[in-house]
Amino acid sequence: MASATTHDHAHGHGHGHDHDHHGPGPWTRIFTTTNHKDIGSMYLWFSLLMFFVGGAMALLIRAELFQPGLQVVQPEVFNSLTTVHALVMIFGAVMPAFVGFANWLIPLQIGAADMAFPRMNNWSFWLMIPATILLMASFFVPGGAAASGWTLYPPLSTQGGIGVDMTIMAIHILGASSIMGSINIITTILNMRAPGMTLMRMPMFVWTWLITAYLIIAVMPVLAGCITMLLTDRHFGTSFFNAAGGGDPTMFMHIFWFFGHPEVYILILPAFGIMSQIIPAFARKPLFGYASMVYATASIAILSFIVWGHHMFTVGMPAAGQLFFMYATMLIAVPTGVKIFNWIATMWRGSISFETPMLFAIGFLCMFTLGGFSGLVLSIVPVDITLHNTYYVVAHFHYVLFPGAIWALMAGVYFWLPKWTGRMYNETLGKWHFWLSAISFNVTFFPQHFLGLAGMPRRIPDYALQFAEWNMISTIGAFALGFSQLLFVYNVFSCIRSGEKAKERQWDSADSLEWTHLPSPVPYHTFETPPDLRGTNAAH
Amino acid sequence: MWDTFRAVFWAFLGIRSSQGYDEDRKKLKIHHVIIAGVVCALVFVVMLLMLVKFITAK
Repeated sequence: MASATTHDHAHGHGHGHDHDHHGPGPWTRIFTTTNHKDIGSMYLWFSLLMFFVGGAMALLIRAELFQPGLQVVQPEVFNSLTTVHALVMIFGAVMPAFVGFANWLIPLQIGAADMAFPRMNNWSFWLMIPATILLMASFFVPGGAAASGWTLYPPLSTQGGIGVDMTIMAIHILGASSIMGSINIITTILNMRAPGMTLMRMPMFVWTWLITAYLIIAVMPVLAGCITMLLTDRHFGTSFFNAAGGGDPTMFMHIFWFFGHPEVYILILPAFGIMSQIIPAFARKPLFGYASMVYATASIAILSFIVWGHHMFTVGMPAAGQLFFMYATMLIAVPTGVKIFNWIATMWRGSISFETPMLFAIGFLCMFTLGGFSGLVLSIVPVDITLHNTYYVVAHFHYVLFPGAIWALMAGVYFWLPKWTGRMYNETLGKWHFWLSAISFNVTFFPQHFLGLAGMPRRIPDYALQFAEWNMISTIGAFALGFSQLLFVYNVFSCIRSGEKAKERQWDSADSLEWTHLPSPVPYHTFETPPDLRGTNAAH
Repeated sequence: MWDTFRAVFWAFLGIRSSQGYDEDRKKLKIHHVIIAGVVCALVFVVMLLMLVKFITAK
């Protein structure tokens, strides 16, 4: 986002020279850039666009559910909307947004000049465009978009039209893009740290991304294998998941969720990293238990591989299997709880101020904890058997992912916008954005717990009359939530165009290298000569 | 080796005292920690399986 304003700043600190006025024109630059800041901005803009595309689908879903009966869309379209809403939000909005942050911040925070493989970085971004076109175009082909839910369970996914194949190809391409991004991130972190930036001095955001990148490399090929088997079942006569041909649809679920559960942590670990940067900055205290945070993140990553079965308690599994996955799932709450306590301990007796990033961070803490608790409820096998496939589950994962992943991203944008653009956002508008989001989010999703407990199934366009009131309230909340996000867009645009000038160290207690060593906005080229951090206190 | 396993044990719990962390920084090597992490994850799975077997035994 800084790209528009990078040409008129002063060159401070002896870092680099601003070469961009000699570079290619704006369009050529977009296609050919290998600069991590350009690519980071492109990822962020793309994910913002996809956030609104996925959000529009969510509003169509909620509009249909405003009243019982069918009013807005046909049931097949409704099923496609639930499927593609999830895929767009996961693969098009949240993951690319975190990669955007990684591109912008990792080189700045470890004192590197750029990412390790700049051309591959460009390729990772541009791969997402054909994938997205495939996914969105699938709505307009015969048979419509995939309608099996984002999990693509067979036999639903073996029955659909060409839209399913387009979805499979889109996921393949997005997976390849994520893997390339991860290789880039791991190589950059392990090989390009400035002298003195040891692993255990890296900012938490860098640590969480290092671990996330390993998770991506571990599980994306599993997803690719899974959907390739689906593709060969659909077109090439195999029967991996077809019981009539000797296959087993349950196997799809096991393979899918072996990817799917670590994916949940791929979506949340970088959010933990952003929180660990923001909370200390506004509490004006160092992060409590830095080592614990690193250890807990690694622990969560390992445990994430042994809990997949909790997504399929009702599928048919021996009691011993159910117990194993129940215990493992409950135990993963321990390192996650450690993180929550560490953030609270960081704030304890701190000199806290409540600027917009901190509001979103505290909102994250409260709401994510609530989502975590409903997750613990669902981890109990007999309870899950009752609540599986109800709106309780929808409420649970939206509590984890909206205030978890999305609010962390919002907090991160407000936090680093002054550094990226050299200008300040409007604080009053930011606070309005937070409070409107906080209230409307809870109006939307808290009633869904009640709906789920009362037995309303998910992914159904129509429902029984007794669910009408809470659905109506939930839809009103959803529209308020959706339209509140326009404030964010306005704030970002007005910040870039005409925000007040930001200080070099806008947040006085932010202590990572981009705040302590670089001017605002950051120059187009940074750390061409890596800073020497040996013997200094520059740290997490 | 014991130091590595002790650090990984604390990592599984997700907490570490600053004194222990300072010792870790001086003594531990990253590839030892990764190997110990994988071994401990396997031990953890086996322990859970034994617990489940014990509970479901008739």
